Amino acid sequence: MLKFVGKRLVSALFVLFGATIITFILSRVIPSDPALAFYGPKATLDQSARLRKEMGLDQSIVIQYFKYLKDMLTGNWGYSISTKQPVLHELMTKVPSTLEMIFVSIIFATLFGILLGIWAAKNAHKLVDGSVRVFSIAAVSLPTFWLGLLFQLFFVGRLHWFPATGEFDTELKFLNPIKHVTGFPIFDALITGNFHAVENGLWHMVLPALTLSLYSLGLISRMIRANLLEVLSQDYIRVARAYGIKERVVLFTLALRNALPPVTTVVGLSAAYLLTGTFFVEDVFNWPGIGKFATTALLNVDYPAIMGITLLGAMGYLTINLIVDIVQAKLDPRVRSE
Amino acid sequence: MKHFFNRRASGTRGIAIGVGVLLIAASASATNGAAAANGILKVATSAAVTTWDPVQSFSTEAFYMTSLYEPLIWKNEVGAATEYSPALATTWSHSKDGLTWSFDLRAGATFHDGSAVNAAAVKASLDSAKKDGGASFIWDPVKSIEVVDANTVAFHLSYSAPLDLIVSSSYGAWIVNPKALDAVAKDSKYYESGIDAGSGPYTLTSYAPGSEVVMSAYPKYWGPKPAYSIVDALITSDGVTAQQMLTSGQVDFASNIPLTSMASLKLNHKFAVKAYGSPFNYVGYFNTLRAPLNNPVVRQALSMAIPYSDIVKVGGQGYATQARGPVPAGIFPYDSATPQYKKALATAKTMLAKAGVKNLKLKITYASENGAEARFAPLIKSAFESIGVSVDIQAMLFSQQWSLAKKDPANAQDLFIVYYWPTYSDAGSDNLYSLFHSSAKPFFNLSYWKNTQYDDLIDKAATLTGTDRAASQALYSQAMKILYDQAPGISFYDTKAVYVVPKAITGFTYNINYPFSLFFAKWSPTK
Repeated sequence: MLKFVGKRLVSALFVLFGATIITFILSRVIPSDPALAFYGPKATLDQSARLRKEMGLDQSIVIQYFKYLKDMLTGNWGYSISTKQPVLHELMTKVPSTLEMIFVSIIFATLFGILLGIWAAKNAHKLVDGSVRVFSIAAVSLPTFWLGLLFQLFFVGRLHWFPATGEFDTELKFLNPIKHVTGFPIFDALITGNFHAVENGLWHMVLPALTLSLYSLGLISRMIRANLLEVLSQDYIRVARAYGIKERVVLFTLALRNALPPVTTVVGLSAAYLLTGTFFVEDVFNWPGIGKFATTALLNVDYPAIMGITLLGAMGYLTINLIVDIVQAKLDPRVRSE
Repeated sequence: MKHFFNRRASGTRGIAIGVGVLLIAASASATNGAAAANGILKVATSAAVTTWDPVQSFSTEAFYMTSLYEPLIWKNEVGAATEYSPALATTWSHSKDGLTWSFDLRAGATFHDGSAVNAAAVKASLDSAKKDGGASFIWDPVKSIEVVDANTVAFHLSYSAPLDLIVSSSYGAWIVNPKALDAVAKDSKYYESGIDAGSGPYTLTSYAPGSEVVMSAYPKYWGPKPAYSIVDALITSDGVTAQQMLTSGQVDFASNIPLTSMASLKLNHKFAVKAYGSPFNYVGYFNTLRAPLNNPVVRQALSMAIPYSDIVKVGGQGYATQARGPVPAGIFPYDSATPQYKKALATAKTMLAKAGVKNLKLKITYASENGAEARFAPLIKSAFESIGVSVDIQAMLFSQQWSLAKKDPANAQDLFIVYYWPTYSDAGSDNLYSLFHSSAKPFFNLSYWKNTQYDDLIDKAATLTGTDRAASQALYSQAMKILYDQAPGISFYDTKAVYVVPKAITGFTYNINYPFSLFFAKWSPTK
């Protein structure tokens, strides 16, 4: 097992190295004047020349790359052109808010995806199954940003149930400020007993998490339905039913246990998808996380920030893949031998 | 899970979950609307902060700067009783030749650390703006600044210039605490965590880059105490989201609502939609380095193909008027007698044929992040195609459009569409100079046009603005007539500044001279 993990780690490092080269070259090839993002659209020629020198953009691309690599390994990920803050600091302060949203989205997608899948399988080829199928296809195919705007129009504009944007009410920081412990705002509020902030944070979380989770929810429900139907048609299930074992036990104890393992891969890959999905969702819901930072960086051609976000995204993706590989190898020894 | 498939139990559970969610929503929504009672003004804005350094500032952070800093004098909005209002200077005067200006400072004004605003601070601030400022060029006429006494400062000019307009500029004219000027000289990143060093009615309390700016009323401010003790600005780039925040009551004001939403908001009794003249306009540069665009007749013909009224409707959504040259209406030296091109497709076609133009292909670039340009650029394409000119239209980020235009001008775009505004309320020394005056290296003159007669008129007019405004206007008008005749660019339209003003707020004003700013200190809840 150790050898298997070691091999995966080495290949992950190669992928990471490749990602740095590709993003570095792409970010340098795009014709753009960083001074416009740094000083605004009326940046003067002097300001532009000074900034290019400060950023080392007047040097050859090879020197720039090795300098970037050296700085990156020593924890200096550069300064964001658009926010003027160290990129690593920006990422570290924004990641917790994004991870909290992803965490809630995964729980939501997994829980409701499994329940919908079971419901559809149990009512296969009936109206319920058809409805779940339509819902799942819609959830997978509708663009996230559009869904987000739609939810805002309906749940905020018409029903007034939820806030349009933000992580907490604006007044909260003045009236019930959250004490910083881990940097994860809702978690910090919870462990410091600031239940008003917890309730407020969860209330703000509903629409963005729902929007973000729909794609994964659709995938998971389809997969559970298909796996469950396949398992339910197998001989041992027929035998169990012939022995008069209760349907509840057949479904949840015998069938679901065998239908679930392939779903771990989907959940893992969904988590990685959610990381990029936050780009749109955080922009629409004004969520102060990594996704909003990424869209601002992209629109400003903020090289250092784009590089940092890509690197962090690649690390996240590789970590999740590694975990999925390990879990699969644990569950199925054939994966290890491959 | 035990009774999951029990229909009755499932229904009860669903109702329970629904009630739970509703209870959370209801209890939490009760906190909405508490802001005004607490003296907190919540604002959604797209205004990002490129720097907190008031000397370097040259972008959208102007939205906050007018609350944190003060200039010597303010230039008033259109229709005000006087052209200027005192800020840190109470009285001012200039010599007959316009070469010496004197400003008497306000007694009792202090910076946010409590130190006094005096003549030395004014000199240090404006010397720094002239030397290192983002808008340093506005101080070009100033030869030296003299501290006459603690409360008097004199400006000596190398040529006559409208110094009252310059010292009231929205960029590069803020008076800054000298301690901060010293600090930033030692550490260029001094301001970056979010620090202010001004004397304005508000002080910067906290800043989350790209997300939020919180400003609190400065208790020792020399003027009236602001009605809102806290202004919390939530940086919201998406206009539709900002609109949702406003209509749902999550914020009290939103400054970036899309023009396309105005019609529906006009029907909402909680708001008033107000349109003001603005200093913004849309201009297109022809690439005059390339044939056949180096021929003025071809440029005139293309200018006649533009469907101006359609562009005004589609781009400006009704909140715009066709421009008369590159000077926006309401800004000196706008001249309502400057001729405009009208759409005349048959004439345009004939002129192109006479100029011997066949199979002309043009590349048009515009900034993809600008919604209005994205809306009206296709109209230009179809208009040009209707006179036999094929068009390759390219949307790209402004920073990329800008880079491509400068990299190799002779092989760059054929038509560059830009959204422009003057740095201070003198479009003669800015728009007319920056956009079309010749320069060795192209900066904002991206038509790469050179005309010595035009240059002479602009240069001379600039020296007369301070002392003989009428003579200056006459020269600028002549220059604008040359622009019409030579057509190095197309003047599309002047935009209106459109705001959705909640009826719950009193005191909202729009000042064309500070187009990115709002004056929160003058606002109060409607009684």
